[in-house]
Amino acid sequence: MIHTTTLDENITLVRPGAERLTAANAKMFKDEVTDIINGGANRVVIDFKNVTFLDSSGLGALVGVLKKIGHRGDLVVSGLNSDVQQMFRICRMDRVFVVYKDVDAAVQSMAEYQ
Amino acid sequence: MFDRTLRQTQAPRMKVIVAEDSDLQRLFLCSLINGLGFEAIEAADGDIALDLVARTRAEIVISDLEMPHLDGIDLTRAIRARNLDQYVHVIMVTGADAVDIRDAALLAGVDDFITKESSPALLKARLQTAVRLINHATELADRTRIIKETNQRIQDDLRAAAVAQCQLLPNLQDEVMGFRVASAFVPSAIVSGDMFGYFELNDKKLGFYAVDVSGHGVHASLLSVAIGHLITPDYFRTHAFDADGRPDPAGMVATLNARFSAFDGDDYFTMFCGIVDRVSGRLDFCQAGYPSAFYVDPAGSVSLVGDGGFPVGMLSSATYGNNTHQFEIGAALVICSDAAAEAENTSNQPFGTPRIGDIARLFPRLGVDEIPLSIVQALNLWRNGVPLEDDLTVLALERKNPSDTYNNA
Repeated sequence: MIHTTTLDENITLVRPGAERLTAANAKMFKDEVTDIINGGANRVVIDFKNVTFLDSSGLGALVGVLKKIGHRGDLVVSGLNSDVQQMFRICRMDRVFVVYKDVDAAVQSMAEYQ
Repeated sequence: MFDRTLRQTQAPRMKVIVAEDSDLQRLFLCSLINGLGFEAIEAADGDIALDLVARTRAEIVISDLEMPHLDGIDLTRAIRARNLDQYVHVIMVTGADAVDIRDAALLAGVDDFITKESSPALLKARLQTAVRLINHATELADRTRIIKETNQRIQDDLRAAAVAQCQLLPNLQDEVMGFRVASAFVPSAIVSGDMFGYFELNDKKLGFYAVDVSGHGVHASLLSVAIGHLITPDYFRTHAFDADGRPDPAGMVATLNARFSAFDGDDYFTMFCGIVDRVSGRLDFCQAGYPSAFYVDPAGSVSLVGDGGFPVGMLSSATYGNNTHQFEIGAALVICSDAAAEAENTSNQPFGTPRIGDIARLFPRLGVDEIPLSIVQALNLWRNGVPLEDDLTVLALERKNPSDTYNNA
């Protein structure tokens, strides 16, 4: 389901490829992102620009991939809409994930901190 | 005279109704069919054949086209019109040149044709085809029956599990320690990933909690039931007070987090729990990823209580804080799982927090008992009757005037 693009600075851009990341597809999302991490991707931007809704299972999957990458690399998120942002705030995920306005901001920041 | 293999493989013999008005022709066909290992049943016209189909539960009919009373096509129509348990394979006997008739016969529901001039070998081949189709249909019917039975058993088990889960819940409406409590519990499937409870912790303090396990359905319900068994009044008393006896709901949440982050999985839950003093009205609460609560003052003014917190069981490093809020006499606190705000209508628009607040503010007019049900009804309207995709819990508490309901001495 996910779309991946390799950008400069060895950054992998992941787009979930679904408007809604929910119990129905969270496991598939997690498995696919885990595969690219296991395949060597260690600088990952997950872009939620086209995701309108993230439920608790979707959030669980996202935290799952963050734990997977652990200290081996960076995983940041971008493009959260206001509903997803609100969920991040209520669950304090804004303290767990580095959040960027959009992919460009994420890539620029990651490039600087290489 | 004929190959007898069919007879050997069919036990008991399959019934074949032979509808033919010519005695000679019928006798001839029946003897052929019996010779092939079937049980031929004679019918001298269409009416008799139709009656026999129902009574003998035969699955094959060989019918002449022209017969008195009910001809072959009308007989086929009548068979198809009856809602029989078994499928009846109809083979029509026509003249060799009756092409037009065949079209009409196919439309009426005839499956196959032979002519009066057909050889016994061809009749045998046609019957073998019929047997193959019937056996296939029987296999499918058996599989469908097994699936239905299995499904029924799963449904029964789930309903029993749902009853067991509901037995863990407190009364949906109650009067406890000067608080009026009203609630709604609506699983999106049969069982729910939600759980809630409220209980007297000591002579002054009421404890309450609501939990929402990530995901929903059976998987989430197993964890929610485990939590329901774990968080007893004693558990609350032991873990939700600090060493000096002051309310510390965050301490209880941290204990739960240590316990549930030990598992290496994506399961976690959100929680809102609090301890309210019936005399002073002080509410100590901890919000762990659960939506903020709605506080409705006696004049109907609504404010949100809580600004978030880490969910439980997601990160072992998570820390939790206590917050306080003054719970006035005549005010209400409404706690609502995220299923309400996230419920989308047919245009994919979520119900949203402000709409829940609009219902909560009706509390001074409606009374606390009506709030949970009003939210459930509003969501039902919002979704045009389509069941929620996530489990819903609404817990509403009103702090009553002590002189009304509770001996404050």
